[in-house]
Amino acid sequence: MKRDPIVLVIVAVAISAMLFFAVRRTHRKGANAPVAATGKLAPDFTLKTLDGKTVSLSDYRGKAVLVNFWATWCGPCNIEMPWLVDLHKKYAAQGFEILGVSMDDVDPKDIAKFAQDKKVDYPILIGQDAVGDAYGGIPFLPGNFYIDRSGKIVEKGFGLIGKPEIEENIQKILASSPNPQNAGN
Amino acid sequence: MVKPLTEKSSTKKSKTSALKFFTAASFRFSAIALTSAIFLLIGTKSSAQEGFGSKVPSVTLSAPAIPSIIRGTPGKAELHFHITPGFHINSNAPSEEYLIPTALRMDAPTDIVVGRIIYPAGQNITLPFAPDLKLNVYSGEFSVFVTVRPLSSVLPGKYALRGRLKYQACDKAACYPPKELPVDFEVKVAKSTHHVRHDPAQSPHIH
Repeated sequence: MKRDPIVLVIVAVAISAMLFFAVRRTHRKGANAPVAATGKLAPDFTLKTLDGKTVSLSDYRGKAVLVNFWATWCGPCNIEMPWLVDLHKKYAAQGFEILGVSMDDVDPKDIAKFAQDKKVDYPILIGQDAVGDAYGGIPFLPGNFYIDRSGKIVEKGFGLIGKPEIEENIQKILASSPNPQNAGN
Repeated sequence: MVKPLTEKSSTKKSKTSALKFFTAASFRFSAIALTSAIFLLIGTKSSAQEGFGSKVPSVTLSAPAIPSIIRGTPGKAELHFHITPGFHINSNAPSEEYLIPTALRMDAPTDIVVGRIIYPAGQNITLPFAPDLKLNVYSGEFSVFVTVRPLSSVLPGKYALRGRLKYQACDKAACYPPKELPVDFEVKVAKSTHHVRHDPAQSPHIH
C-alpha cells in the first residue's frame, strides 16, 4: 500500500491540531472547575438576613451547616423546605444549622412572607450572585452544600433528593470534628 | 563497473528502506495519534455531558406564519413554541402563586393595537416526593395567540411586532432561573375586501 508522505504530513498536522484543541479544552474546563469542591473549606460569605442583620458563614464554625440555595419560584425547593424545617428541629440541639440563601430577584418582603408560610425557623439570607459564583455557580436549584464542623464541604448536590438522603448527609457533618487542622483548604 | 552500480543500488535500497521505515513509522504514529485524539475528544465531550445539569432548558419560537389582517378589524397571530425535551415551564396560570407564570409581553406599536393574548391551558403534573402538589405546566410544544387590530388609517403592508416571552423552566428535580425569549413576528395588513359600490346614477361624474 503506497502512502504519500504529503498526505501523512497533513494528517499529522490535523491530528496535532485536534490534540492541541482537546488539551486546551480540558485545561479550560479545569480553570472553570467549581471553587467549592468537596473536601475543601467552604468559601466564607457575608449576607444580610431578611430582617437586615449581617450573617457570615464563619460565624457558624464549630457547627454542622447546610447551606441551602433556593428560590420562591422553585417547586422542588418548595417540596424540600418543610423537610429542612423538620430536620433542623430534629438536629439543632446537636449543633446543626441551616442557612437558606434565597436566589430570588424579588422584594425581600415576598421572600419573608413565603418563609413565614412555610414556617421556616432557620436564617434566610438574601443571596448574591458573587456568593453563588464562589460556590462554583448555581445553575439550578435547589443547591445544597453540607459543611462539617471544621468548615469543610463534605457533600454537595443540586436538585431534589429524598429526605432520608438529606438526613444521612446531615448526620455525616454532625459526626465531624470541629478541629480545623483536619480541614483541607 | 559493477561495484559503483552496486553501491548506488545499495544506497538507493537503503534510502528506499529508510523512506519505507519513515512512512511506516509515520503511518503508525498517525494511527495511534488519531485514535488518541478521537478518544480524547470523545472523553472531554462525554465528561462535559455527564455533569449534572449539562442539558440546559430552552424555549424556542418556530418561524411564525405571517397572518393577513384587514385593517380596522381584529386578527390573530399564532406563535408556536418548543420546550427542550425533559423540561417543563409553568403555564400562564400556575397552580401556586409564588411560581413564575409564562407570559408574553408585547412592545406597544403605534398603529397596531395589541389586544388579548390567549394562552393554552396547562397540563397538571406532580413531582417525585410530592404526589399531592400539582403543578400546571407546558411541556413539548404550545401555541400562544396574539390578538392584533391594525388601525383603519394604517397603510397596507407588513408590520413587525416585538415582544418577550418570560418563562421559568424546571425538570422533575430542579429549577432554572427565569429567562426571557425575544419574540418577533410580522403581520400583513390588508385593505378591506368589502368594496363600497358606487351607484353611477348618484355619481357626479358620468362618463
